[in-house]
Amino acid sequence: MISKTFLKETKELFREGRVRIAFLIVLLLLGVAVWISVEQYQNTNEQYAAAKNAEREVWNNQGEKNPHSAAHYGTYAFKPKYPLSLVDQGVDKYTGTSIFLEAHKRNEAQFSAAADQTGLARFGDLTPDFILLFIIPLLIILLGYNSFTKEREMGTLTLLKSQGISSFKWLMGKWSALFLPIFTITAVVFLLAGVLLTNLKDFGVFKWNSLLVMFLVYVAYYIIFINMVLLVSSLVKKSGISLVVSLSIWILACLAVPKAASNIAESKHPYPTRQEFAANVLEDKKKGVDGHNPWSKEAKMLEEQVLKEYGVDSLHQLPFNFSAYRMQKGEEHEAEVYFKHYNYLKEQYVNQSRVYRGLAAISPYLPTRFLSMAIASTDYDTHWDFADAAETYRIATQKFLNDNTAQNTKYGERGYKASADFWKKLPAFKYDPPELTSIIDRNSSNIGILGVWLLASFTVLFFTSKIV
Amino acid sequence: MSLILLLLFGFATYNGLQKVEKRKSDILAAKTEVKENDVLMLKLLDSVERGLSVNATPWTIPTSPMAVGNYHPRVAAMEPQPMTFISTGQADVFTHYVKPTVRSDDFALNFTEMTSPVQLLFGSFDLAFVIVYLLPLLIIAFSYNVLSAEKESGSLRLLAAQPIRIQTWVAQKLGLRFFWLSLLVIVSLLVVFTLLGLSFIVKTTTFFGLLGLTLTYMLFWFAIAFLVNLWVGSSAKNAVALLGLWVTFVLLVPSVLNQLGNTIYPMPSRNLMINEMRNLKADVTEKQDEILDNFLRDHPEYALNDSTQSRGFYHRYMASQELIREELSPLVSSFEEQLQKQQAWIGKFKWISPAILAQESLSKMSGTSKSDYEDYRKQVIVFAGKWREHLIPFLYNNQDFTQADYKDLPTFNYQPNSYSKWMASFMILIIGFCLFGLGLLRAKSLGAAGILK
Repeated sequence: MISKTFLKETKELFREGRVRIAFLIVLLLLGVAVWISVEQYQNTNEQYAAAKNAEREVWNNQGEKNPHSAAHYGTYAFKPKYPLSLVDQGVDKYTGTSIFLEAHKRNEAQFSAAADQTGLARFGDLTPDFILLFIIPLLIILLGYNSFTKEREMGTLTLLKSQGISSFKWLMGKWSALFLPIFTITAVVFLLAGVLLTNLKDFGVFKWNSLLVMFLVYVAYYIIFINMVLLVSSLVKKSGISLVVSLSIWILACLAVPKAASNIAESKHPYPTRQEFAANVLEDKKKGVDGHNPWSKEAKMLEEQVLKEYGVDSLHQLPFNFSAYRMQKGEEHEAEVYFKHYNYLKEQYVNQSRVYRGLAAISPYLPTRFLSMAIASTDYDTHWDFADAAETYRIATQKFLNDNTAQNTKYGERGYKASADFWKKLPAFKYDPPELTSIIDRNSSNIGILGVWLLASFTVLFFTSKIV
Repeated sequence: MSLILLLLFGFATYNGLQKVEKRKSDILAAKTEVKENDVLMLKLLDSVERGLSVNATPWTIPTSPMAVGNYHPRVAAMEPQPMTFISTGQADVFTHYVKPTVRSDDFALNFTEMTSPVQLLFGSFDLAFVIVYLLPLLIIAFSYNVLSAEKESGSLRLLAAQPIRIQTWVAQKLGLRFFWLSLLVIVSLLVVFTLLGLSFIVKTTTFFGLLGLTLTYMLFWFAIAFLVNLWVGSSAKNAVALLGLWVTFVLLVPSVLNQLGNTIYPMPSRNLMINEMRNLKADVTEKQDEILDNFLRDHPEYALNDSTQSRGFYHRYMASQELIREELSPLVSSFEEQLQKQQAWIGKFKWISPAILAQESLSKMSGTSKSDYEDYRKQVIVFAGKWREHLIPFLYNNQDFTQADYKDLPTFNYQPNSYSKWMASFMILIIGFCLFGLGLLRAKSLGAAGILK
């Protein structure tokens, strides 16, 4: 019975013009989206490599210079693009791509692509994730909205009833007829993406199992939509109404709820403005040692403490240059201040995430979106990871530079310059995105929510749809 | 139906108002902070002028013009417009106030706001979203089967026997729906605005601009519905066709246009810009003395006749900054030019989708469109120049900043961008009428028999 229903439905689907056209359009869109993304990916990575190397050159060839001047001159950390961003661009467009690493200051990543684009960019981009997340669910609705209503409208329902068919088997047939084409198209897309990625030059950290997990997430998402569409189709009497209801669900889940969630999250757990943030940091910075200011109360306290520790009575007798030591202490204090304030931002974001997870109860789109971005390493968490790695590197760099001055000069000595080949000794900045296992770990709640959706939608479909 | 509209409009307006409130209070807080700091600064100046010793870090004492320029910047704020709550536009990407200092570079002035990128990705549930995205769907839900329902129930044949042309009859039916929906929209908007205490009466032209745009946009969708009703067949097919058109106009056309704009006029790489800037800075640091000499040669008014005075760090620094600014300006403006080209390109094709027209027009009404922020950025850069130029003569003349000079400090006044209020409505109206005309032509060529089939 299942296979018969399946065969009949599949035949019918492919006989219909709208299905063929819809499939063709979706495939065409996907093709274009993938092509554009590959171009962009290669382009961005070439620019990234060029920028990174050029910046390192600049750093290495500073010539003779005072280490603290070099610290102010600073260096840049550039954010690379990861292979799976080809499938899901995530929030990449909205985060900056380069962080300026300088003395005394933790800077945020600057130059987000969105800030350089026209207002149209906010409608969305023609990228694979747009098609996977928005258009394929629409395709599911288009294919399945009349699964049951058509039997009613054509009068075949009475015939079926007289055959004494099992409700469950009939449902399974319909379900698999809807699932198979969607599964095939998704599988083909992901397979193509994988092949494309392995054939790209410098595909970096691409791993097939990440792609596989991502594929499973999308399949789960589509199954949820299939279940909902079939449920609606079995509950309402007319095809037109079934279509309108399914569509309302789509709009609610994919457009309205995410937007509303973003509004609620923002009003409940707001970020400070950039200027407020800077003012707060400054306020806290003033409470500790400032490396450039030997006259402050905190600097005097540090002096006394160090003198006592080394059992000497003048700064000249210390085995290192106290000015550079103070500079380093100031740096450490400032790093702590930044750590505190950025942690506050993170906390706010964790709170915001809770709002998103809460609203995921009415939108399967939300957990899917977050999971997909996370696996592609294009989510906000990865961006935080990158920013933190850059900060750790910045702090290490400052120590590296201050230590050099502390060891090679005496207190009160001015005009010291480190030799021209000193700069090369600073290790280069390296950042690796999190591994798949830790991503899964971090997103276990999203996986849980998606799982609940999957189970609940199946249960409701099987128990409430008494078609026969 | 009216309840749905009330809820949607209410929630969206409330969200918009909240954002505006936050923006206002942020700006106010920043301004108050500057005022408080100014009081402290004047006190310090007073003490110094009276020859008292002051308890402050030496380089922050405001007798130095550079200390004023760096530690006492003015707030350059972009105040919200009366109708800003309508559309978030780019308001979540960009900041609404900056404090340019004499030390900051124009290109380093960061105009983006600290927002979680997830929020930017999802966008905001504002009035513009309800009007551009959701209203058409309501229209589709209520008009997809105007003709086909009659056909399916068999009453169309009866109707055809009446002395009325079918297309006229469909137009009348849709017209009636348009009338009621418009009435509902107007009433709901009025109710929501009144409940939320908005003084829309003060800004009547903008309010009517909003209504005009909403109604013409609705008319466009009714025209589409009219066309589809005459052209396609069964209720379900109509619904599919209408939804396809909705996806095309609201989602696909904007993203394809945006993508094409980016591909044809790609933005130069910001990372490569950084490289350029770094090389330049490295060069400039090496030649600081030479640059200062050249600068002074160009500015004979700053010549020092007093041998007890000398040139310090800031003299060199400001002269080098001036040079870096000049050298980098072609690179920085290449971004602007490219953006303008993209905008012009999109401008040529935006009439393909009235959704783009409507969205853009609503953002302009709110003063939150990209061009508004570009305009603000330019105003700030002009102001930053003014701020610098006001203090530079003090620096090179080695002249102290005094209390008397305080009142002459330049301040920033934001001038909102002007825009044409009716252009978009007019364009959408024309498109709508063209579609109606097309529908009537089609009906004529089909004839009554064709429609009945």
